[in-house]
Amino acid sequence: MTEARTRIPSLDDPEIIVDTPATIYDAIPPYPPTTEREAEFYSLKDGEMLINLGPQHPSTHGVLRVVMKIDGEKVVDLDPVLGYLHRGVEKICENGDWHHAISNCDPLEYIASMFSEAMPVMVAEKLLDLEVPRRAEYIRVLAWELNRISSHALFIGWLALDLGAVTPILYGFIERDEIVEMLAALTGQKLLFNYLRIGGVNGDLNHEFLSRLGTWMSHAAQRIEDQQTLINENEIFIRRTRGLGVIDREMALKMCLSGPPLRATGIPYDVRRAHPYSVYPELEFDIPTRTEGDSWARYWLHLEEIKQSLRIIDQVLHQMPDGPVMTKLPRLLRVPPGRAWVAFESPRGQYGAYGISDGTDQPFRLRIHDPSYFNLQTVGLMMPGHLIADTMAIMSSLDPIMGGIDK
Amino acid sequence: MATDSALKRRLEERLGDRLAGPVRARHDTTEIVIGPGAVTDVMRTLREDPAFRFEILADLAGVDTGSVLQVVYHLWSPLSSDWLRVIADGLTREDPRLPSVTFLWKGAEWAEREAYDMFGIVFEGNRDLRRIYMPPDYKGFPLRKDFLLPDDSARSPGMGIRYMEQPVPTAESGRRPVLRSSPGTGSLAAGSGRTEIGAGGTRAIGSGEAGS
Repeated sequence: MTEARTRIPSLDDPEIIVDTPATIYDAIPPYPPTTEREAEFYSLKDGEMLINLGPQHPSTHGVLRVVMKIDGEKVVDLDPVLGYLHRGVEKICENGDWHHAISNCDPLEYIASMFSEAMPVMVAEKLLDLEVPRRAEYIRVLAWELNRISSHALFIGWLALDLGAVTPILYGFIERDEIVEMLAALTGQKLLFNYLRIGGVNGDLNHEFLSRLGTWMSHAAQRIEDQQTLINENEIFIRRTRGLGVIDREMALKMCLSGPPLRATGIPYDVRRAHPYSVYPELEFDIPTRTEGDSWARYWLHLEEIKQSLRIIDQVLHQMPDGPVMTKLPRLLRVPPGRAWVAFESPRGQYGAYGISDGTDQPFRLRIHDPSYFNLQTVGLMMPGHLIADTMAIMSSLDPIMGGIDK
Repeated sequence: MATDSALKRRLEERLGDRLAGPVRARHDTTEIVIGPGAVTDVMRTLREDPAFRFEILADLAGVDTGSVLQVVYHLWSPLSSDWLRVIADGLTREDPRLPSVTFLWKGAEWAEREAYDMFGIVFEGNRDLRRIYMPPDYKGFPLRKDFLLPDDSARSPGMGIRYMEQPVPTAESGRRPVLRSSPGTGSLAAGSGRTEIGAGGTRAIGSGEAGS
């Protein structure tokens, strides 16, 4: 240490005195770089400058700040800054019991929370060696696929909105609204469902849900076709997505991508088929893939997956068995000691959870693997070389949800 | 789902001496335990050996067992019906260090940053190892078991460190109910019977607690 730095209160907690205060919006951090990469990023060559995208920018889909190093209109390098939405869900889960974890995990993926709440449920079931009633499994698949469609419909609208088209998001919300109303009839909630339970689901299918589902199924396929014609052959849309944000097969595997961004590079990795869970082995559906690896391919996959989800829902409704929807379990659930890993396919990719139990009613550790977190990392490879205006198209084609990324 | 016994055999054959414990298989997951020094070698073999081809890193997680730290990798291979869990065990609390796997999976960079942020585990070879969620001037590692929250519920880490996989309490040996100290009464002050945040030590439950 050559010089004594002034010690001042931390912005995080004024009672803590620190050497290097982190300011919230400074593009250049007011402390010396701590890593090789940070030093490289924050040293500017002639003609380069740093700008902040976010944290309150609408196209960041949450509270994400991306520091971009630009040269004219071209992005040279970027550094995403996370943590604005960090709530410490993993720590909170350790301090509540297994049932609390369900509602704590709900707001992670707030667009498709039927998936994120499945994490503690499936981990606890695996640790308990619990057989879930078949009717409950079918209801779960039904709820998951409906939620997947509503999430994908919104994705398509968002992507178009970030490119400057306002109409598609209205269509996306029509779809989402009908599904959300349907799920509200089933679960009582429109956004954070809190519907899955360890050992089953909370409540059987009811009349209102089924009648709404029937009405919607009768025109859903046609409506998706209409949406396709709205964007698919729109020249502006194609020129702003095709060939942008390209990632190749090898790099996609190295970057731990999953979901549509991985399948857009030609790898048919979908956990529903790669490592089947629930009743997916009994259902017939395809895993659509593309080989281009660009934004357009990712968009196209979302459309195809909506069609596959409609196929699944159709089969689920025909094969739905009778029976109970919940296993009998003690209210104070002591999960036997052990370790379990579950993974399942959410609209954004592979959701995973690694649970450790020490024999009490609380999780000892609940690791949450969020696909958006790993997918978002790729923007560092996809964006350099593109124009600032295209960064939005690339980022929203990865469909990040900051609730899950920041945990 | 049956476990993949062929995988177990192959792992014992190829990794033999580098394993720090027996290959275990439960549910649909095969589990191996290695020392932190063997990570580079074992992970390269698992990814690049044509007999394994574990090309998808499904997860990288830090774990605090209460006594030591671990890094847990989950891998997927098209050749096996099982998940593979690799536990790099035995990292000391004072200086947890192990090699990074970013040379195989560049995408592990952020996962390692998260483990560094939450547990203080240092991944040697990760070129961007800085905090990712917490602010850069933050002290302490929130997911460690000795990082205690002031407002924990009873029977929680707030009452002392929990250790991994204790036997299930029976009726006789079961935990006594722990009464929660009244909230907001300076529970963090010294001498109040609760540990300071991040103080880093175990704490016996105070003698006053059973009677209160």
